[in-house]
Amino acid sequence: MNERMLRAASALVLAAALDGCAGLGVAAWDRDVLARDDMQLTPDPVEAALDEHIYFSKEASSGGRGFGGGGCGCN
Amino acid sequence: MTKQHGSGLSATLATATCTLLGTAAANAVLAEEADDWDFDTALLYYGESDGRVQDASLNVLANRQFTDDRSLSLGLTVDALTGATPNGAIRIGEAQTFTRPSGNAAYDIAPGGLPLDDTFLDTRYALTAGWKQPLGRLNTFGVGVSASSEYDYTHAGFNTQFARDFNDRNTTLSAALAIARDEIDPVGGTPLELSPMLDVGDLSNRRGAESKEVVDVVFGLTQVISRNTLVQVNYSWSDASGYLTDPYKVLSVVDPETGVTLPRAVTPEVVGPSHAFLYEGRPEERSKQSLYGQVRHYMNGKVLDVSYRYMTDDWDIDSHTVDTHLRWPVGTASYLEPHLRFYAQTEASFYSPSLPAGIPIPAFASSDYRLGRFQALTAGVKYGWRMRGDHEMSVRLEWYQQRGDVPADMLVGGQSAADVYPDLDAVIAQFSYRF
Repeated sequence: MNERMLRAASALVLAAALDGCAGLGVAAWDRDVLARDDMQLTPDPVEAALDEHIYFSKEASSGGRGFGGGGCGCN
Repeated sequence: MTKQHGSGLSATLATATCTLLGTAAANAVLAEEADDWDFDTALLYYGESDGRVQDASLNVLANRQFTDDRSLSLGLTVDALTGATPNGAIRIGEAQTFTRPSGNAAYDIAPGGLPLDDTFLDTRYALTAGWKQPLGRLNTFGVGVSASSEYDYTHAGFNTQFARDFNDRNTTLSAALAIARDEIDPVGGTPLELSPMLDVGDLSNRRGAESKEVVDVVFGLTQVISRNTLVQVNYSWSDASGYLTDPYKVLSVVDPETGVTLPRAVTPEVVGPSHAFLYEGRPEERSKQSLYGQVRHYMNGKVLDVSYRYMTDDWDIDSHTVDTHLRWPVGTASYLEPHLRFYAQTEASFYSPSLPAGIPIPAFASSDYRLGRFQALTAGVKYGWRMRGDHEMSVRLEWYQQRGDVPADMLVGGQSAADVYPDLDAVIAQFSYRF
């Protein structure tokens, strides 16, 4: 997949998702499960940052979940 | 979350963190409501086999929740790094001598040994600070700064985020921006790209410090699918410009027929490289894009998290990452969480395990294994338990392995993939304590 295609695909996914999302979801009083600590998208931010740092240092990809990490001259 | 009041340790640590960061404003607020700090601490050990990189890392993340959903977070990381790292040269059947990065000594590698530079010793300090607050009823705004320092490297960064809720807060759209400037001041100076490794004491191909700028943009969509399911999709774009080369990595110049590194004419009484090695050189621009999707699903007490990331960049690297966690409750206060991660990447367009002699030197070349084609697997498990007063502890143990997948047309003469690609095995052990 080249870069232009990825950009177009991402825009399409976002647009379609936003449109389709209007009918999705739950009422405020049905959020007991979603409010649990273990249902947060990043339940352990320190562990997520440590993993990001390890994989940034050892692989050519980074970020995705959030920013691309960095800030080290990792060997 | 309920908190035990009068937690002296929290207050002491909060004061210590704020003093360290010199945040007078935070101190003033702290005096009124010292008990509302949450601490996330972790000790991590990362160790590679065969005496390669070892990292012991101490991490503290302090979060202070104020009224009206405003929050302050302060993070500190201290890394102690030791061990050896592949210098980029290939294995050969002869002994090899390399000039150290400082340029004032040399080290030897035994015949058949993987060339590792063992001068790798560093302490890294990193600080982060972030502020988040609502803007109106449906928006959230955040700003943050980051800084880190190690012997030859400093980083300074700024970031900001904005998010807005839609559809009765079932949909969140977010945009985030981060900019960073890093400076690298290599031991012994920055070697000229693709210049030869010289004798000990000869620093004629070195220059001063270098820098790079990195801009990251992330657009995200978070959607509640059902009472038990949450989805996130992110698109990220990242642009790095400036010095993107690794000043400590070299390439072996090899005989185009045999694939063995060419010997170098040695001056008597002078210590220097035994063979022909060139310092690597990378382009000064890199643009990356990625698409990330994550699903978190609750199933009768268990929580399944699956994520996928596709990344592509203008160095011709494409990668796929699949990451899965399953949190499985054990009794009422503890859980087990197995973790499996799979990663695969293609090689950079200028990746070359070695450089055959006799052809013109390319504009860019690197044999850094992290720019090669490889697959990686992480497997591990975490065990966590909740204690009195909502304190939480966890331990995790994981194994990480990388296996090179060197394209056959990159092997010269009698080279085997094992000669040119340093496979990696590492263990990750972590202890976390939240209070």
